[in-house]
Amino acid sequence: MIPDTLREELKARIASAITTREAAVDVMKELQRHYGWLTDTAVHEAAELLGLSTLQVEELATFYEMIYRRPVGRRVIHVCDSISCWSVGCEEIMAYLQEKLGVEPGGTSADGMFTLIPCACLGNCGEGPTLMIGDTLYGRLTPERVDEILEKERKVL
Amino acid sequence: MPKLIIDNIEVEVPAGTTVLEAAKKVGIVIPHFCYHPALGSVGACRLCAMKFLEGPVKGIQMSCMVPAQDGMVVSTTDDEAAKMRSLVIEWLMTNHPHDCPVCDEGGECLLQDFTVAGGHGIRRYRGKKRTFLNQCLGDYIEHEMNRCIECYRCVRFYQEFAGGSDLGVMGSAARVYFGRFEDGALASPFSGNLVDICPTGVYTDKTARFRARYWDYDMAPSVCPHCSLGCNTIPAARYRELLKTMARRNDAVNGWFICDRGRFSNSPVNDPERPRHPMIEGREAGWDEAFDALLFRIGELCELHGEGSLAVVGSGRLALEGSALLPQLAGLLGAGFLCYFTDDGAGDRTATAVSLLNTDNAASMADVRASDCIAIVDCDLLEEGPMMLLAVRQAWRNGAPVLLVGEHSPLEQAKAASIEAVQISFLEEAPLGLFENPVVICGTKNSSPAAIEKLARAEARVACLLPGPNAFGAALLAREHGGTSLAAAVATGKVKGIVAVEADIPVELLEGVALVAAFDWLPTEVVKKADIVLPTTAWTEMDGTFVNNEGRAQRFRKVMTPGLPIKGLPERYHASADKPAPFHPPRVHRKEPPGGDLRPAWRVIMDLIERLGGEKTEEPLSGKLEALRDLDPEGEGVRIWEIDG
Repeated sequence: MIPDTLREELKARIASAITTREAAVDVMKELQRHYGWLTDTAVHEAAELLGLSTLQVEELATFYEMIYRRPVGRRVIHVCDSISCWSVGCEEIMAYLQEKLGVEPGGTSADGMFTLIPCACLGNCGEGPTLMIGDTLYGRLTPERVDEILEKERKVL
Repeated sequence: MPKLIIDNIEVEVPAGTTVLEAAKKVGIVIPHFCYHPALGSVGACRLCAMKFLEGPVKGIQMSCMVPAQDGMVVSTTDDEAAKMRSLVIEWLMTNHPHDCPVCDEGGECLLQDFTVAGGHGIRRYRGKKRTFLNQCLGDYIEHEMNRCIECYRCVRFYQEFAGGSDLGVMGSAARVYFGRFEDGALASPFSGNLVDICPTGVYTDKTARFRARYWDYDMAPSVCPHCSLGCNTIPAARYRELLKTMARRNDAVNGWFICDRGRFSNSPVNDPERPRHPMIEGREAGWDEAFDALLFRIGELCELHGEGSLAVVGSGRLALEGSALLPQLAGLLGAGFLCYFTDDGAGDRTATAVSLLNTDNAASMADVRASDCIAIVDCDLLEEGPMMLLAVRQAWRNGAPVLLVGEHSPLEQAKAASIEAVQISFLEEAPLGLFENPVVICGTKNSSPAAIEKLARAEARVACLLPGPNAFGAALLAREHGGTSLAAAVATGKVKGIVAVEADIPVELLEGVALVAAFDWLPTEVVKKADIVLPTTAWTEMDGTFVNNEGRAQRFRKVMTPGLPIKGLPERYHASADKPAPFHPPRVHRKEPPGGDLRPAWRVIMDLIERLGGEKTEEPLSGKLEALRDLDPEGEGVRIWEIDG
């Protein structure tokens, strides 16, 4: 159950949209922020708020890679594996992260801190290889830089 | 009308026709998946490539996305186009399992046909295929997602065409999944069409699972008997068991689809309780003996209670052939009452509706689909004619407002097809005059004759839903021959005997009736109570005609030989009664299949007429109806006013 304040906030957000569907992504993101990931309960709540069926919410939720329909760690690392990053060595970065965190792509580190997910293009092609954690983009990655980023992100929490 | 040349053949098509359809018109079928005539073009599957040699566009194009235009010269056999199609079908097949031998779609699979037609035969891909977990979609539809080629037809039909909201597409890229949020029965009353519209075996008919291959089916063009709309179907049977029903295209009536009631109501035909033999007082008898007994008992009845104490009763589900012979039978039997309807109200309402309709104002489902304003008066379409709701949705999608009039038009029907409808109390409130092609749809179940009569004054065309697949025909005959309702006949106190021909009669009306004879194929209450039962054939076991709700006579053909299904054949038909039931069907030579000595209702009536000294003929349709004898079962049918001539 989400708190009433959040429910009212979301209702206001939906009311200001021209079509309710337009507000769907915002609603899902807020619910995800509340629960940590978009739980089944959250899908039901989103459907009710938006006047959509659970399937219609699920269609949107599963389309966007930053909406998580499974439990994730406290920070989610999106590593770009699209063409520009691939041409400047994203595979090495991915391999380094896998080794460092001890996870396969899609996995969550044993301490529950990081989830590692490949993604296709973060719009940061000029600065590849690139990754994103939360709302922060990091470019021109090297293994050393990755170490720094992980340290920094650990401290944020 | 644009003229173009496809493979050196000149084609002229109406403006707006796609090049893919134009090629089809001259018999050139190019493989395609995402395009479907009812769903339109999206150009997504990339399979229908043709080479445009001359004209406004040049080079390789998706032919479903290019409207035919003057001066176009198109090649479907061009090497480059053929190569593209073969590569596209190869990639569509990359993940497709090699499970055709255990797939119900095998043999009736568009993917099989188009893979071969597209020029792909040998798989080069050796990698792992993506796999999915399937969902339980209820009792009617089997789900097998691994077979999916992502054509999106199912979701486009289910959500856009039919307005369902519980089946859709999830995920992205190579993980696209078509299904529900969680396991559960599909909610749309049109969900069964997924079976027809899926080009491969993702959705198959669970009720006919693993029962037969396409080439084993007994099939024929047929008409659905489960409401008055007369949707065109193809029932499929094997070993005397009706296995499934598929939709058959008729642009004037149902278009491409049918409702789930029409598709999944096959079990009554296979019901072991069906009357299979003539019965006299609960004892099996031969036909001759049963006819003799019936005529003897009727003679007795007339002696005892006087002439006119007999009622001959037809119904809205009795085919036109039988219905048309009833007046002659009633005359020869000296029956005092000829009834086409059992209850007073239904008869009156149907009669009112039928006399209101004429060639100009009767709206077909095609008219409803093309309408720009629709009022549904005292009618729950989900109950009285679900396919009409699908027609209403198409009009609504094109911008037509939908008004639900009166307390008997529940909002749930609109919700079932995601139509945003407005509820009003009286038809007078509907601004029908503002529109060019308004249609008023009216039920006959919960309305009154006065309300139906009022429709004549509405500035709109009218579609009435009637009680039964041939209720229109029955009402016409009742008007012509002075029929009354059975309830009214019984109320006179004169009815002492009833001959019920495929008529459903409430038990109360049979009380105090000395003789009940039932000619029927269903194990109805009347059949159970009847003194004499003459078993008739189901609609799938005979040729016949139904006149649908808009006065359209449609011919249905015999699909299957009548008889008990071989599966579960009772012991009395085994070669030896004292040995255990054999695994194989018993090899006993017979003139007809066990339990197959049934006759179409019109034939039973004709046999009686002959015994009564009437003229025997092989043609049940005579007089004005003679024009319907050569009705083409694969045509659009003939409106009854067109034969009045």
